[in-house]
Amino acid sequence: MAAYLVRRLVGALWVLLGVATTVFIVLHLTGDPAAVMMPLESTADQVAQFRHEEGFDRPLIVQYGSFMWAALHGSFGDSLRHGEPALGLALQRLPASGELALTALTLALLVAIPIGILAAVRRNSLLDLGARVLALLGQSAPVYWLGLMLILIFGVQLGWFPVSGIGGVRHLILPAITLGLFSMAKIMRLTRSAMLDILQSDFLRTARAKGVQPLRLITHHALRNAWIPIVTVIGIELGTLLSQAIITETVFSWPGIGRLAVQAIYDRDYPVVEVVVLIAGASFVLINLAVDLAYAALDPRIRYD
Amino acid sequence: MSNRMQVRRALVSLAAAALLIPAAARPPSGAVAAAADSTVTISQGVDPVTMDPLKRTITPTTNAQLNQFDTLLRHDREGHLIPWLATSFQHVAPTVWEFKLRRNVKFWNGDPLTSADVKFSVEKIKDPAEASEETPRVATIDHVETPDPYTVRYVTTKPTATIPGFPWLSMVVDSKYWKEHGDAYEAEHPMGSGPYVFKSWTKDEELDLDANPNYWHGKPAIDHVIFKPIPEAAARVAALRTGETDLIVNVPTQDLPQLENGTNTKLESARSARVLFVAFNTTKPGPQTNKLVRQAFNYAIDVPSIVKNVLGGHGFQVATPLPPGFFGYDPKIPTYHHDLAKAKALLAQAGFPEGKGLELVLQAPVGRYNKDKEIAEALAGQLSETGAKVSTNIQEWTTYVNQTRTRALTPLYELGWGNDSYDADNTLTSLLTSDAPLATWSTPETDKLISDARFELDPGKRQADYAKALSIIHEDAPWLFLFQYEDLYATSKRLIWKARGDELILCDEMKLGG
Repeated sequence: MAAYLVRRLVGALWVLLGVATTVFIVLHLTGDPAAVMMPLESTADQVAQFRHEEGFDRPLIVQYGSFMWAALHGSFGDSLRHGEPALGLALQRLPASGELALTALTLALLVAIPIGILAAVRRNSLLDLGARVLALLGQSAPVYWLGLMLILIFGVQLGWFPVSGIGGVRHLILPAITLGLFSMAKIMRLTRSAMLDILQSDFLRTARAKGVQPLRLITHHALRNAWIPIVTVIGIELGTLLSQAIITETVFSWPGIGRLAVQAIYDRDYPVVEVVVLIAGASFVLINLAVDLAYAALDPRIRYD
Repeated sequence: MSNRMQVRRALVSLAAAALLIPAAARPPSGAVAAAADSTVTISQGVDPVTMDPLKRTITPTTNAQLNQFDTLLRHDREGHLIPWLATSFQHVAPTVWEFKLRRNVKFWNGDPLTSADVKFSVEKIKDPAEASEETPRVATIDHVETPDPYTVRYVTTKPTATIPGFPWLSMVVDSKYWKEHGDAYEAEHPMGSGPYVFKSWTKDEELDLDANPNYWHGKPAIDHVIFKPIPEAAARVAALRTGETDLIVNVPTQDLPQLENGTNTKLESARSARVLFVAFNTTKPGPQTNKLVRQAFNYAIDVPSIVKNVLGGHGFQVATPLPPGFFGYDPKIPTYHHDLAKAKALLAQAGFPEGKGLELVLQAPVGRYNKDKEIAEALAGQLSETGAKVSTNIQEWTTYVNQTRTRALTPLYELGWGNDSYDADNTLTSLLTSDAPLATWSTPETDKLISDARFELDPGKRQADYAKALSIIHEDAPWLFLFQYEDLYATSKRLIWKARGDELILCDEMKLGG
């Protein structure tokens, strides 16, 4: 197990190295930060001076080397816009993104798993039809539109929830629903199909023939065997929710890492974009590792020796 | 306990913690605002990026800082300079501007504000190691002299008739405090002398300011101000309608009717200091170097129609690069009017009957100016009615702006210019003289007139020089002269505030009522 963990963590470092290199190259292809930062009336000399002070006039390979060396030491430089360490800016916003992503996932799971199971058990019933329609709507509603609709209905018209910013539980509801709906639909569909496969399997028929109670049959026999694909998708969804809350955070003025990323991309604030992408990459890698480890806990046949 | 039980329990605990703990630990952000009557919440699109007032030139950041820091001068809403920290200012020699400072002005910590603070602030912006975006503002200042604690002299590199150093935007910091604490500390714990005292700042959430009870200009009427950024325009509108905020910027035109007639909302607008234009790049070969083609295109476009249909009527056609109210503006110069027949006749005279042989690209940015892309597309459509083939090439701003500085955009390109000095010099010198990096048209005659006006100390003679230069510019048509924007704000009905053309939100100009 320990050897497996070490192997995976070393592999994760390679993945992050790849992510860092890709984001560095892509960012430097998108334009010159000095062009955006300096006022329009700046002379060529002033723009060149800014480039020099920020080190953008060095050969790209030198900039890359210096970026990687600093990154290996846990430093990503100062934000060009904020003038303070980029890593600190991102870490300050990580708890807000985590809070939103975990709440969205929790809401999604609370709805998706029971309904997914029921839809599979009562296949082709009205409930199943309703679940499928809900899944279709959840996966096809644009997040931007959904967020604004929720703001208009539950914020402006009914006045039940605040429409922007972070605060108490009431501030969390609308953005969490907006962010979580897509995941809810995806997990619901997967739960339904995983359960359908299991429900038709031989061992379940045998269990039923042996007189196992229907509820126990589902919770102790079917669901346990359906967990592997469900947990896999939950892991992927958590990574996605953490790193792709860009639209939700923007619509609801949520002070998370996604909103920071949008502004940083707009400003060509290289250090901030780099650190945000690396955090997103690292969270994906770690969640994947956690999911793989969870397999062993869920299925005794899986061992990492 | 089995592994499975442990996993399940851990998941449940994690979810519960995520849901409850952070949410319960934090007080609702609107609660404070709702409790106190004299609290005003302002929602711009983005949060300030720093509290260091010597680094950045972005308007939302400037707005947060100008409520905490003082400037030597201010513009009133009509664009006239008024004394502020400086009680008087005068040109004492061709290269020397002298400011007499108000006495007994103190920073919030009690430090007196003196000429040394002004000198420190300007020198910090000028220091190349600071990489300040404000450097161009102080570029003409050679050095600062402080003959006594209440006299400041800006010595310029060359004689100049216009006040150097943007003293209506350049803020004065507490040099003693800064030297004690350093840049990084100041960026999060500012020390100003302005009408509002910094209280707290949670990035991307809110900046809280309290009225300065010892402000030299008197304690402001609003006790507390909150800057709460809301990036999405529709969400800003919703927040105003629900009373979560009192003032929103950049109101989308489609939301104007509901906000104008809202039970708790009203509109505010101001003629912006920003003008939108399409320049002809005469530094590159092509039909745009022909004056007749440029004039024809000015007659071919229908600016009032574009203002009405694209901007919902929120713009004002201009005849020259200068809008009314600016020093140097000449009301006698008429706007080009829409006359397609005249445009076609001019094109025929230029050797392009029915526009044959004319194929031009109108370059434009997207997302930089209000409706920039839509305006470019409308203009291309109108220009094509002459028979010329005019297409658009829309680019993202970062790519676009680099090309403006190298004069690479050709033959036509759209650009906006916000001149918050309210003086012709800034616009004409930056955009229409041969030495300016952004200029793609110039003549020796206009170069001389603009340069003469820059160094002429007699306002009457300056005005005459500008009138002559503008007349030549109008005739030679280096631009498609378009319009001056109207800036749109919406506020709660209880807020008494008038919008300014320079996009500044000065909270000491606000009151509550209604």
